[in-house]
Amino acid sequence: MRRARAWWLLIPALAALGNGPPGRVRFAEVGEKAGVRHIHETRKFQGKHGDVLGMFTSGGASSAAGDFDNDGDDDLFVVSSDAGKPNKLYRNDGGLKFTEVGVAAGVTGGNDPKSIVADAIWFDYDNDGWSDLLVARFGTPVLYHNERNGKFKDVTAGAGFNKFGNTIAAIAFDYDRDGLLDVMFGNYFKPVSLIDLTTTKVLPNDLDNAVNGGGVTLWRNTGGGKFVDVTEKTGLSKQSGWTLDLGHGDLNNDGWQDLYVACDYGTDRMFLNNGDGTFREVTEKAMGFDTRKGMNAEIGDYDNDGLLDIYVTNITDEYMKECNMLWHNNGDGTFTDVSKETNTCNTLWGWGAKFGDWDNDGWLDIFATNGLRSASKENYIPVLLEAIIKPNMEFQELASWPAIGKMTWSGYQKKVMFRNVGGQVFKDISAEAGVDNDLDGRGLAVADFDGDGLLDFYQTNADQPALLYHGQTQGAGNWVQFKLRGAAANRDAVGARVSLKAGPLSMIREVDGGNGYSGQSTQWLHFGLGGAQQMGQIEVRWPDGRKEQIRAEINSFVRIEEVKGGPAKVSVSKNR
Amino acid sequence: MMRLAWLWAAAASLAADPLAEFEKALDAQPDSMQIGSEYRMAVIRMKEHDRCIKFLGDLAAKHPKAPNLHLNHGFAYVDKIPVAGSITQVLLANTALGHFGKSIEAQPTWIAHYTRGNAYLFWPKIFKRMPLAIADLEAAMKMQKADKKRSYHIRNYISLGDGYWKNEEPDKAKATWQEGRKEFPGNEQLTVRLAKSPAEMDALIVEVYDPNKRVDTNLAELWKQQP
Repeated sequence: MRRARAWWLLIPALAALGNGPPGRVRFAEVGEKAGVRHIHETRKFQGKHGDVLGMFTSGGASSAAGDFDNDGDDDLFVVSSDAGKPNKLYRNDGGLKFTEVGVAAGVTGGNDPKSIVADAIWFDYDNDGWSDLLVARFGTPVLYHNERNGKFKDVTAGAGFNKFGNTIAAIAFDYDRDGLLDVMFGNYFKPVSLIDLTTTKVLPNDLDNAVNGGGVTLWRNTGGGKFVDVTEKTGLSKQSGWTLDLGHGDLNNDGWQDLYVACDYGTDRMFLNNGDGTFREVTEKAMGFDTRKGMNAEIGDYDNDGLLDIYVTNITDEYMKECNMLWHNNGDGTFTDVSKETNTCNTLWGWGAKFGDWDNDGWLDIFATNGLRSASKENYIPVLLEAIIKPNMEFQELASWPAIGKMTWSGYQKKVMFRNVGGQVFKDISAEAGVDNDLDGRGLAVADFDGDGLLDFYQTNADQPALLYHGQTQGAGNWVQFKLRGAAANRDAVGARVSLKAGPLSMIREVDGGNGYSGQSTQWLHFGLGGAQQMGQIEVRWPDGRKEQIRAEINSFVRIEEVKGGPAKVSVSKNR
Repeated sequence: MMRLAWLWAAAASLAADPLAEFEKALDAQPDSMQIGSEYRMAVIRMKEHDRCIKFLGDLAAKHPKAPNLHLNHGFAYVDKIPVAGSITQVLLANTALGHFGKSIEAQPTWIAHYTRGNAYLFWPKIFKRMPLAIADLEAAMKMQKADKKRSYHIRNYISLGDGYWKNEEPDKAKATWQEGRKEFPGNEQLTVRLAKSPAEMDALIVEVYDPNKRVDTNLAELWKQQP
């Protein structure tokens, strides 16, 4: 644990700011110095279709921020995808220094000859107070139990995760509010092995309305380290899209966790939780059917109206003008895409994108990764065009697609950071913030890794080194961070909501279990407070709906522990 | 050609399937540009794009030498583009080009060359369709200069200039727009183009040739201009 920066307390000028002039958002890339310069490697497929399969599976560069050793700060689990390549576990030693402990912890495996690691999440499945680790794969997942001594034990065999899936996304949340975290997988391809092909018709059957993807599966945690497939029972089995990301949150403020499913090659889906162990699809009524390339499902209240909104990246480039979707929650069961109006439409070939209040002004900003494949000067797009306009091209057939070789496809794209201006419009500050790298980005893990009150983030890239951006915004606002611990609720308190008033600001944050493509962010709830010098009402709504008020101080870390039958235990500290 | 606007209103009020009235009329006069155009306008309102494409496709198979039928068949694909996904848009646009080409093969008219050339303008530069656009639009320009002046000829001054601009030939673009302004003084679209900075012009091109916006494919101006 480290002390919060003293200068936060020494800038009286902030007191005069109200929630006014923003700080100058600035990040420094410190990945090398911090010791987290992991180089992801995508799976190299063999055989005559290897090139095309590699092209279609170039996701999977993931990371997950979580405190596996319970020392108060967020560590990083980072995956590889190529055969035999190890995943990494970076232990946060403080002061933005990390030590790789994956081998000692026993969590480097997963990229065996038949399986491809593609995502990972921390979650405390057995409520023992220690974060366990789930590694999602094109294959079957791997579940590691945290043995509390820096080591993990593979408990997959007894967990029941026995169904093959080409999983690209995983989240953990308590859909039935039984106090145990359940697991949902988003599956890209249908459940066939891409390594031992039994058919070459494995690609999307339509590039705008594909229905032959892997859909989703939901696994209920029944306790004792066991999970049961409840996909059909919960009403989620009809979704057959090419799922790329999953997001959960209480979208209609009824206290139950709802779902957004982002699908490549076609329609994203929204499901509301019925509160009885089932979901109902509301896509058509809530937002209509889209034909875009849904890449990301990030959930947050960008306009501070007390309703969770959704940010979805799609593909926008010279040759394809899809535009992202910023779904504004209208509060009546409908959502309106305001990406054009808010200037969040174009982040090129989108991947993971996350909300985060980079300048602590009380408004959620955005950082969006992008870029598919940066290689030679030769561009794959004209080659691809000639293929797809051939009469009767069979899209799902591997042999229909031209090899990409060393060609570039939507590569060398500058990453995009948007500053939220009062919940109405976003301003592109990528270059001035120092984050406009042009690597082939995939996922993001956002956390205050050094405990200085400013959010940092880790950007994973396909076949390229990862980046750690340290928040160094000058003149940022005050802040507060909350870490919730469930008792009746799941121990991670996933699904709990904190509502906070500070000055004119009124904000909500929910603890999520892995929203956003290829990256799990911290479970510390971070609030920027602008120039507010004290906080008004702070309310915690636990996953079971019970609400209680707590008190806290600005520029502090607040731990809130649920107590069954009594008020929560609250501890406030200037450092973690 | 007789005006058939009444047909839509009458059909809509009387028939359970108003498009069938148009289809019946087209069966009788397959190469009627006017009936085909008005049929498509009705189709856009009723969002029956697939039906229209199939009907005109079947009709074109029976009448392969009917230039206006091929033109309307191509436009039927264009009409569907705004409601299609981004990849399907490409496929529709490419198919439309094929039908416009058949129209030119059957009879190389001004409208067919202009239409195909203008359709190429919507393609991103990366696909290198601009020389094809310019070739068609120059052919149409040659035809219109040999013809008497018609109000719709202004469109080609705009499109050909845009083609030159997109092909990174700004001097030719400006010369074309200026020539158009001499022929059609006061035309706002030309005035706007000639007043814009290069960056503004690039932005305008992106805005104008946005495949997600519906293109006005109503051909009524053509027969309104008949001598």
